[in-house]
Amino acid sequence: MKKILDVKNLCKSFEDTQVLNNIYFKVDEGEFIAIMGRSGSGKSTLLYSISGMDRPTSGNVLYFGKDISKLDDKKMSEIRLKHMGFIFQHSYLLKNLSIRDNIVLPGFKAGTLSREQVNQNANALMIKTGIDSVADHDIKKVSVGQLQRAAICRALINKPDVLFGDEPTGALNSSTTREVMDVINTVNAEGTTVIIVTHDAKVAARASRVIYLMDGNIHDELTLGKYEGAEKTKSSREKRLSEWLEKQGF
Amino acid sequence: MNWSIVRNDFLRNKVINLALLLFMMFSASLTILSVLMAVQTFTSISGLYKMAQPPHFVQMHKGEINQKKIDEFMSNYEDITCWQTDTMLDVYGENLTVVGKKGRYNLSDCRLDIGLVKQNKTKDLLLNSKHEKVTINEGEIGIPVLLKEMYGMKIGDHVILNGDGVTKEFVIKEYILDSMMNSPMVSSTRLLLSDKDFDKLQGKIGENEYLIKVYFSNTKEATEFQTAYENAGLPQNGQAVTYPIIFLLSALTDITTVFVLLQVSVLLIIVSFICVRFTIMAALEEEILEIGIMKAIGLPFADIRDIYLYKYRALAMAGVTAGYILALLLSGVVTKHTSAAFGGMGISTLAVLLSLVAGCLVFLLINYYCKAILKKIKKVTVVDALVTGKGFGKDKGGIKDGLYKSKRFSVNWLVGIREVFYKFKSWIMIFAVVLIAVMMIMVPVNLLNTFKAPEFITYMGSSLEDILIEIENGENLETGYANVKQLLQKDAAIENYYEYRSIRVKTIYAENKLMNLNIDCGINAGNELQYLTGKAPEGKNELALSYLYANEIGKRAGNKIELLFNNTKKEFVISGIYQDVTSGGYTAKSKYDFSGLVADKYSFSVNLKDNSEVGKKAEEWSKSLGAGVSVDPMKEFINQTLGGVAKQLGTIVFAIVIIGVALAMLITILFLKLRLAKDLSEIAVLKAVGFSEHDINKQYMIKIGYVSIIGILAGIILTDFLGVKIVNAALSITELGVKKIHLIVSPVMEYIICPLLLMVLILLVTRIVMRTIKKYNIISIIKE
Repeated sequence: MKKILDVKNLCKSFEDTQVLNNIYFKVDEGEFIAIMGRSGSGKSTLLYSISGMDRPTSGNVLYFGKDISKLDDKKMSEIRLKHMGFIFQHSYLLKNLSIRDNIVLPGFKAGTLSREQVNQNANALMIKTGIDSVADHDIKKVSVGQLQRAAICRALINKPDVLFGDEPTGALNSSTTREVMDVINTVNAEGTTVIIVTHDAKVAARASRVIYLMDGNIHDELTLGKYEGAEKTKSSREKRLSEWLEKQGF
Repeated sequence: MNWSIVRNDFLRNKVINLALLLFMMFSASLTILSVLMAVQTFTSISGLYKMAQPPHFVQMHKGEINQKKIDEFMSNYEDITCWQTDTMLDVYGENLTVVGKKGRYNLSDCRLDIGLVKQNKTKDLLLNSKHEKVTINEGEIGIPVLLKEMYGMKIGDHVILNGDGVTKEFVIKEYILDSMMNSPMVSSTRLLLSDKDFDKLQGKIGENEYLIKVYFSNTKEATEFQTAYENAGLPQNGQAVTYPIIFLLSALTDITTVFVLLQVSVLLIIVSFICVRFTIMAALEEEILEIGIMKAIGLPFADIRDIYLYKYRALAMAGVTAGYILALLLSGVVTKHTSAAFGGMGISTLAVLLSLVAGCLVFLLINYYCKAILKKIKKVTVVDALVTGKGFGKDKGGIKDGLYKSKRFSVNWLVGIREVFYKFKSWIMIFAVVLIAVMMIMVPVNLLNTFKAPEFITYMGSSLEDILIEIENGENLETGYANVKQLLQKDAAIENYYEYRSIRVKTIYAENKLMNLNIDCGINAGNELQYLTGKAPEGKNELALSYLYANEIGKRAGNKIELLFNNTKKEFVISGIYQDVTSGGYTAKSKYDFSGLVADKYSFSVNLKDNSEVGKKAEEWSKSLGAGVSVDPMKEFINQTLGGVAKQLGTIVFAIVIIGVALAMLITILFLKLRLAKDLSEIAVLKAVGFSEHDINKQYMIKIGYVSIIGILAGIILTDFLGVKIVNAALSITELGVKKIHLIVSPVMEYIICPLLLMVLILLVTRIVMRTIKKYNIISIIKE
């Protein structure tokens, strides 16, 4: 399996505060990684540093073997646009656009597919995530869960190699969390690598690997294997993860 | 507590507060400056007129004079309070040579008739800049400010008078203010000599010209008097001028400047209001949660409002005070012409008082406006502020979808154009400011262009040709006419020429009174003038009247008028009304030949085959035709008559262009700073989904550029439609006697240079401000 990300000796500091210390880890294509840790452990900083949203202070981030840590804004934007997708705790859709327009926007910008094709892909994604009925709605007129699913569709419109999520279910209730995570697992099952930061053990239990961060260092890792979705497996994964997290002091 | 909030806000939003302060300062400053200048102009003119006492009617005359007959007529005329006849020694520019620091030069290129005079005893005095009667000693000379400005003469320079075998040297002692002849638009100027020198020179050099001056108890008597005077057969070989024309020609420059300053200050106040509204709304929206909480805990509206009001009060106070100081510092520059032309002792108490009132009014206006905007706090509910997130905006809902339907349009253009198109209201500040900047720049520029354009002379009663030849009334009138005609017929350089004969007829006006009407007749009469109403006379029974005449006899275009001449009555139709400042403003034009009537004057308008020969030809003909015939190249004539107005206005217009452009740039910076602060999260999202900084820059450039283009177009349309109306409204308020001006637009300036300049500079500052997005940290913005 190809390595999609290879993080080497990654350090990040803000003024005098060292947030990440010499981080090393690799991500294989198709993996689903959950990054966990206490507040202030540096998990979001790690996510943004490896996704090119922020520059590491030192170290390298190799994306398919190419160092992206020192790319200029234009080149990095191009990679984010065409090869990476992002979802945040809130949907952050553009408020002057409808749900559909928000989704097609990065597709139009990338220009790799015809606009007709982008529209077709958007329709397919909306059907898959169950928001096709609100496609042309104002974003103020739909539910938070629908918004988050729209954000996932936007992140997936250019068929990214990797989907990054910073607490993607942080603002959702448990049933909406389930719906959103189902979509993410489906996307992952279709081959998209997923890396998310989460506080929620139930969410992390859906990942194939969990990285635990403490004081800016990778403290431990847990491999859970591929998520199958069956109720029985689900509870055993959750139990395993809980015990492991307890050991980490979470 | 409130003041500490104000202080903290100033420190937090330095750029925005500074920009606001600047607008308030400039608008207050310009308002105060225009008040200062208006008061100064009127007090200087009235001070000068009070002391100098210019005549209400003056008849210039060359030739024999019978003072006894004049005295007899005057003493029998009821409303006259006083009259006097002065003698002026007319000399030519080439008779005068100046030797000074600038070297040695003579005044041969001066197209004004130069007269040497001695000081009067009590009326029509020539004054110094302090409005004191000037006393000149033997060997000294007083130079009019007009000539000083034209030639740069200095006190102490020597003036050598040489002609008719006489040579006499004078030292310039004073610059003199001539209440009657202080404008280049008047055709004469007076140089003051001592009584002794004048008496010695009289009869030895130049030609005697008499100024028959009359004063009335009511200045409006002048026109009626003029008819009676002319009918009495009294001396009238020369120009007759009445008080309104003296005032018009004197004050035109300064009143135009006051108007331009006032227009700019009004526009600046509007801009300040737009800025204040935008910043208040931005602050309120940003602090909607705090406002909601304050309301929720029961703070009364007035208390919440005052937190914001204090800040704007403080800003307005500081802005108006700084504006006042700036206005006082700049007052010297804008009142320079007024002081030079009309004198005066610095800024008067009245000017200071009225400017203080103007400053207070600007402060109160801003204060009132802020209060009105802050009423929005009263209307917003706790639920709107804290729960629904509706805030101050009216939730109209209904976003415009359809971006997905676009087939080809570039995404950055799509995002930019759609935003402005569907959310124009949130960009209206840039639109309004660009529109105002265009108007602020273009109305004065067009006004300046109008004064500079050769065609302007056709709006003021003079036709436009290469050379104007006039034969003065006198014994040699017919000989002069024959000479000119002979010369013009022979000269192969001439393309065409038209001749005009000035005659005088009578007409009946109110209460069956007779009034003299001076008509220029000829086959081309009135053809090249611009008409306020109607058109040039065509048939032989048509007549065009000057505005002052039409006003006096209460006639309009299309009315009939009965003329009495050669013991017969003939009815004419008034074909049109035109504006005139020549020949005292009372003129008429007709194609009817009025044969049998004696000519008062002849004039010829000549066009040459080769325009570049004008100067040379005029000089050649002037020499060949000799005294009694004036030959003026029109360009030179226009330059000397209107050059002063254009020069003064040019300085002001230059400053206004700078202010206008700076205004558009500053507002763009202010707006973008506030807008970017508001759009922070959207920018972060765009960056996160893969839009580069370059893309985001481009989107904002498109948005600002698009709004600016609409603003520029609206500004140009409004300038074209309203510019003339604004100028003419101002003219009618000032009662200058000029009824209407057609603005002569400079297409290159209005349609190319001004829009391009504004666009380039606005986009430049947009680009500079957009650099700040480099510093934006997506993570911290998204995490907030």
